[in-house]
Amino acid sequence: MLRDVTFGQYYPADSFVHKMDARIKLVLTLLYMVGIFFVQSFVVFGFVTVLLLAVVLVSRVPLRSVLRSVRGIVVLLVFTAILNLFFTKGADASEQPLWAWSPWNGFTIEIYVNGLKSAAKIFLRLVYLVVGSCILTLTTTPVDLTHAVESLLKPLRVVKFPVHEFALIMSLTLSFIPSLIEETDRIIRAQKARGADFDTGGLVKRAKAFVPILIPLLVGGFRRAEELANAMNSRCYEGATKRTCMRVMKLSWRDLVASLVMVIFFTGVFLLYGMSSKWGGIVWLYY
Amino acid sequence: MEIIRLDNVSYYYKAYNDDGTVGSAVGVEGVTLSVEEGDFVALVGHNGCGKSTLAKLLNGLLLPQSGVVTVNGLKTSEKENIFEIRKNVGMVFQNPDNQMVASIVEEDVAFGPENLGVPQKEIAERVYDALEQVGMSDYAKSSPHRLSGGQKQRIAIAGALAIRPKVLVLDESTAMLDPLGRKEVLEVAHKLNAQGMTVVLITHFMEEVLDCDSVVVMNGGHVVSVGTPNEIFDNRSLLDEVGLRAPRTVELAQKLSEAGFDVNARERDARKLGGDVCLNLKK
Repeated sequence: MLRDVTFGQYYPADSFVHKMDARIKLVLTLLYMVGIFFVQSFVVFGFVTVLLLAVVLVSRVPLRSVLRSVRGIVVLLVFTAILNLFFTKGADASEQPLWAWSPWNGFTIEIYVNGLKSAAKIFLRLVYLVVGSCILTLTTTPVDLTHAVESLLKPLRVVKFPVHEFALIMSLTLSFIPSLIEETDRIIRAQKARGADFDTGGLVKRAKAFVPILIPLLVGGFRRAEELANAMNSRCYEGATKRTCMRVMKLSWRDLVASLVMVIFFTGVFLLYGMSSKWGGIVWLYY
Repeated sequence: MEIIRLDNVSYYYKAYNDDGTVGSAVGVEGVTLSVEEGDFVALVGHNGCGKSTLAKLLNGLLLPQSGVVTVNGLKTSEKENIFEIRKNVGMVFQNPDNQMVASIVEEDVAFGPENLGVPQKEIAERVYDALEQVGMSDYAKSSPHRLSGGQKQRIAIAGALAIRPKVLVLDESTAMLDPLGRKEVLEVAHKLNAQGMTVVLITHFMEEVLDCDSVVVMNGGHVVSVGTPNEIFDNRSLLDEVGLRAPRTVELAQKLSEAGFDVNARERDARKLGGDVCLNLKK
């Protein structure tokens, strides 16, 4: 179960998306994530699907690894979809529910067409959010991502924001995720071997069963942190002062092409959103 | 030329007694030691004998509470020297996973030169030089956590080499590796030494001591003996006292020679030793 966390796992390949500037990728991903919230109809969701598939194809990351990222939010997905399904009322009071059930007097569970639609949309929106951001982390090394964040946040230095330190913390966190996952796995197996039981009992009992995992993990984390600090100090780390960088970030034609495609696409999405709320006339925007 | 010098160095750790009062535990005590440039020095001793404390004193990760540590003429106790000292003393630790700062090999190796403020073009040069020296050029773009232990440790060595140090300290860097990984790391260390690098190898595997120039034996925070590997192996009462054993082949050769066999008591090649024993039996 722990191996499914692909977040922060770079998929090495030589592709258009991999070669793009990380800063552009980050900005475009942000644009995409904002854009997703302006998608109102299933037709436009269809367009987004085509765009996403095209990006995955161009990035040469197997679709399986991209979709694997969704597994991590299954619980959230089901939860929000169910909430939306049951708590969305009809468009007006006269609308009849598709299905209703009244277990006792004064309490009814109803499902409307609108509920079905909004559940499906929130489901798609969350899946697309995760998949989109996952493409970023699959095609960009954490180090590149860090450089990108550092470079994009640079203006904040004016207000004394520790940009470099922030970026370093981010990069270390990302690069330690695989070893921490491995360690968690190992601890779970070790505790199971001694008869620990994680799968039965009530909620409280199960939560308590995780204490023997968390404590060694925490202690191990501190030990790791100290060793890492020693290793970094030994390699002359002295903070951001006078630090140089091996990688120079350069914009290329790829970044221009990708930016154009994304900007045009989402300008379209924003325009459609604006039109639908202003006129409400373009019927297919609602489906 | 002397590159590292320790004069009567002591370091104590804070320790909590059973009754909750704060006491101290010996890290190292009264250590006087000198390392010549170009030497291959092994530091051996049991767990908790102060080897790793001594290593951390060499590049100013720990500062001596009494005594003086000098590296290339600079005292570690002066704060403004530390940066220069760390440029001269590269250090590789035990757990390869906990020394990696980046998730791409070349970016990890570049961390040191980046910290030094080396110009961008030269960083790439240093990184590829360093990877070449440890024989990991083909893995420049891989992610470290997919490599074997020995490969990861060679990357860590490359990370230290990219700073272009004069001394390489391997602090139990082979302890977590399988025999093959250990062999890889040792080969790299000896190769670097042949090119003029001073190497301080901290270990508790006595087999690794065989090809060193000198051996420092530690026990309970004290240096109890310094000598060539042969001198140390011959001093069996000392080895017994500190709970160490000479490598099997060495022990066997010693015992056979004592028992009257006509073999070289200093023979280290197990196969040659076997041949000699057979010749003896034939006679």
